Amino acid sequence: MRLRRLLTLSLLLLPVLLLPEAALAHVGSPDVYYDGYAGPYHLLVTVRPPVVIPGVAEIEVRVASNNVNEVQILPLRLVGPAANLAPKPDFAVRSTADPQLFEGKLWIMDRGSWRVEIKADGQQGKADLGVPVPAVSMTSARMQRALGGLLSVLGLLLVAGMIGIVGAANRDAKLDPDVLPTPVQTRRGYMGMGIAAVLIVAMLVGAYFWWGSEASANSKLVYVLPHLQPTLQNGDTLHLHLENPNEEAGFIRFGRQQQVERQDRLRLDDLVPDHGHLMHLFLVRKSDMASFWHLHPGQLSTAEFSQSLPDVPAGHYLVFADIVHQTGFPETEIGEIDMPAIAGKPLGEGNSDDSGSPALVPSEKVSALSGGYRMVWERDATPLKPRQPFWFRFRIEDQSGKPATDLESYMGMAGHAVFLRDDGQIFAHVHPAGSVSMTAAELAQRTIGGSSGADNGSMMASSSMDSMSASPSMASMHHEPPSSEVSFPYGFPQPGDYHIYVQIKRAGHVETGAFVAHVAN
Amino acid sequence: MSSTIVTAQTPSRISSLRVSQAQTVPWYVWSCVIASASIMIGLYWDISWHATIGRDTFWTPAHLLIQFAALLTAFSSSGLIFSTTFAGSPAAKGASVNVLGFRGPLGAFISAWGGVAMLTSAPFDNWWHDAYGLDVKIISPPHALLALGIGAILAGGVILILGEMNRAQGALRKQLEYLLLLSGGLLLILYLIFNLQNTGRVMMHSSVCYVAVVIGLPLLLEAMSRALNWKFGRTAMASVYTLFFLLSLWIFPLFPGEPKLGPVYRQVTHMIPMGFPLLILIPALVLDLLQANAKTQAWGKWKQSLVAGIVFLGVLIGVQWPFANFLMSPGARNWIFGTHYIYYAAPPTSLDVRYLFYQSTVNGFWMGMAAAIVVSILSARLGIVWGDWMGEVRR
Repeated sequence: MRLRRLLTLSLLLLPVLLLPEAALAHVGSPDVYYDGYAGPYHLLVTVRPPVVIPGVAEIEVRVASNNVNEVQILPLRLVGPAANLAPKPDFAVRSTADPQLFEGKLWIMDRGSWRVEIKADGQQGKADLGVPVPAVSMTSARMQRALGGLLSVLGLLLVAGMIGIVGAANRDAKLDPDVLPTPVQTRRGYMGMGIAAVLIVAMLVGAYFWWGSEASANSKLVYVLPHLQPTLQNGDTLHLHLENPNEEAGFIRFGRQQQVERQDRLRLDDLVPDHGHLMHLFLVRKSDMASFWHLHPGQLSTAEFSQSLPDVPAGHYLVFADIVHQTGFPETEIGEIDMPAIAGKPLGEGNSDDSGSPALVPSEKVSALSGGYRMVWERDATPLKPRQPFWFRFRIEDQSGKPATDLESYMGMAGHAVFLRDDGQIFAHVHPAGSVSMTAAELAQRTIGGSSGADNGSMMASSSMDSMSASPSMASMHHEPPSSEVSFPYGFPQPGDYHIYVQIKRAGHVETGAFVAHVAN
Repeated sequence: MSSTIVTAQTPSRISSLRVSQAQTVPWYVWSCVIASASIMIGLYWDISWHATIGRDTFWTPAHLLIQFAALLTAFSSSGLIFSTTFAGSPAAKGASVNVLGFRGPLGAFISAWGGVAMLTSAPFDNWWHDAYGLDVKIISPPHALLALGIGAILAGGVILILGEMNRAQGALRKQLEYLLLLSGGLLLILYLIFNLQNTGRVMMHSSVCYVAVVIGLPLLLEAMSRALNWKFGRTAMASVYTLFFLLSLWIFPLFPGEPKLGPVYRQVTHMIPMGFPLLILIPALVLDLLQANAKTQAWGKWKQSLVAGIVFLGVLIGVQWPFANFLMSPGARNWIFGTHYIYYAAPPTSLDVRYLFYQSTVNGFWMGMAAAIVVSILSARLGIVWGDWMGEVRR
């Protein structure tokens, strides 16, 4: 690679190659899907953050009804001083093919927690919705061959041209018109060209090191997926040691002496609970994806967590630990562990929210629950495609096929879903409100200036309750009893075979439905 | 080659050819000067745009000015080169240089090179943004290439003017001298705009600022003043820079502007200018006064460089250091000195917002200052070499 860059620079071009590192909250699933209300308007918002920061985020706002005339979008920091000062908003453009879809782009200028504010204006007035968006640099682009070729040609032209100019400057420039250069002047011209060539090479070598140092500085800003270290202690306790590989990127340095801590510095001593727990831990047995556990370890010290395990069958487990920082920035720490069969404590003895199953039977359409109940994935024949926002709707039926009536809120929501690609490279913990952390979602609902937002409030009061209750996400956010259906907005980031685990609470017990999904290219 | 070509040993022939030269400022000289001025205004405007509005497109007025300049240079320089090479009169060919088989005035080749460098920097910069994100720094490799290109367009203009000026007399020479003064001033502006990152008020108590200034300033001042050969050439050129920055500082905030990007850390309602000019006018004046003394003109080139380098740096530090204290004080936060105009995305932790100086280590500071002295002397020496050469350019 070094040789390639040197060659490139000798022609004034070509790339530094930096390997991409998959990342963000969740794993390999950076796009944000959010179902919420701007006053009376039900919106499904998709935010595709840029892979390099600063960069352009793509925003799609789908309006559930026909009563929105105009959508504006703007980016704000989620917390801190810049959370209260808004740039001028941009208009999202109504799609010609789909009048309920508005599309726009926003520059995300800095890493960290952002809030994309959606301003909807329609028949029932103006109202806002804040969508939390975590932004990180994930990769460095490679240079395309065609561009490299073009720059090579131009670079060669520049080098040759400069050498020629220096030659002419030394040979001809001082001559009066029509006077031919003497042999001495001609020789001086060649000498000048030689010296210019040496100086250009020296400059290119300097540029090579400069480019290298810029690339190296940039690579330090690329988000590194944290890997936790899981160990089994005392036969039935899982100990987790968290890693913070992005610590260094949390400082802006001025020379060797001065440094300023970035507002969004990632640190492990600022974790905040997300729907009631500092950590949501998922264990999935890799071989068959049938043993699935959603647990909530306790914090021992800053980076140390511990979880008493239930009866978990032996196997090689994928470990995903969701945490949220005070800034609203979510992370997923990943790991793997081989475990023998664990004879642990009954589920719920330590933490009533812990749940899971040792032997799920995944299905494409219907997953059996306890007591003869069933969970049905309400999907049509439309093939699943990557990067498309999709409503994943699941209906819970009793033994006779009627909608279940005894569903309860599980950790404040109608349900929880995990989307996991079979190779473990893509993982997302999704709620009825979408793929965002609920803590970040709460932070994002604050309006500009930190006020409650009279405009928003009045619109909420006058809004149609029918349309609101139609949304399971809003029902769950307002802690209303869940209906028999739970839905999750999400889009698969890449093709592949996925497992979907859907958890609901019924009759005092958490139940897990398991489904498989193939996402074509 | 035409039959009029003679050798360097036939000076009698030269005088008869001089009359063939144009009696007015040629169109390509005007086009170079207009392009240089457009670039500098466009660059300043563009930086102000980024500090105020943040987001831009290909079509911002600032970009259009720069692109206009690049196109003007490309067309006029390449037109001049191609017409001289393939359809030039014997007189035009006789007053040209030969670069890779093409013929034209040396300045046209340098400007054309600058145009190609600017052109090359565009896709390179675009890729840089894709790879590493949008610029948060002024100085990056593609921007350095862009600056080299712009510098070459400006320098090409200077050489083009000199080629004509050194063969002209009377009113035409005077006119060309004024154009040279303007072009020299624009070169100073370009150099100091490119170094804004290192020379802002936060950096004025750091050696970084002074090293950054003396790498280019003694060179440009010495070279251009020798080419111009005015009694107060340095002062005149430094005045162009000072006037440009002062007028920009006072005019830009008269126009409204607001951020179109987040994060917004500071409410901005008007265009943000680039700050009060560096006080290079004072050392430039001191150097001119020194040179006015007949004794100093008899010194050897190295002695002149030694004195020019040390005096320039010493006087600059002597005036800029205490002035920086004033710029950090509340007394400078007004429209005259403009230290209250701060980039919309400057976080509250930034030194700019806190009106604090950047501090390096004591060792680092003194090593930097020692380096500044050496660099300043060498820069002046190079300037003298370049200036002497420019004084003799005739094509």
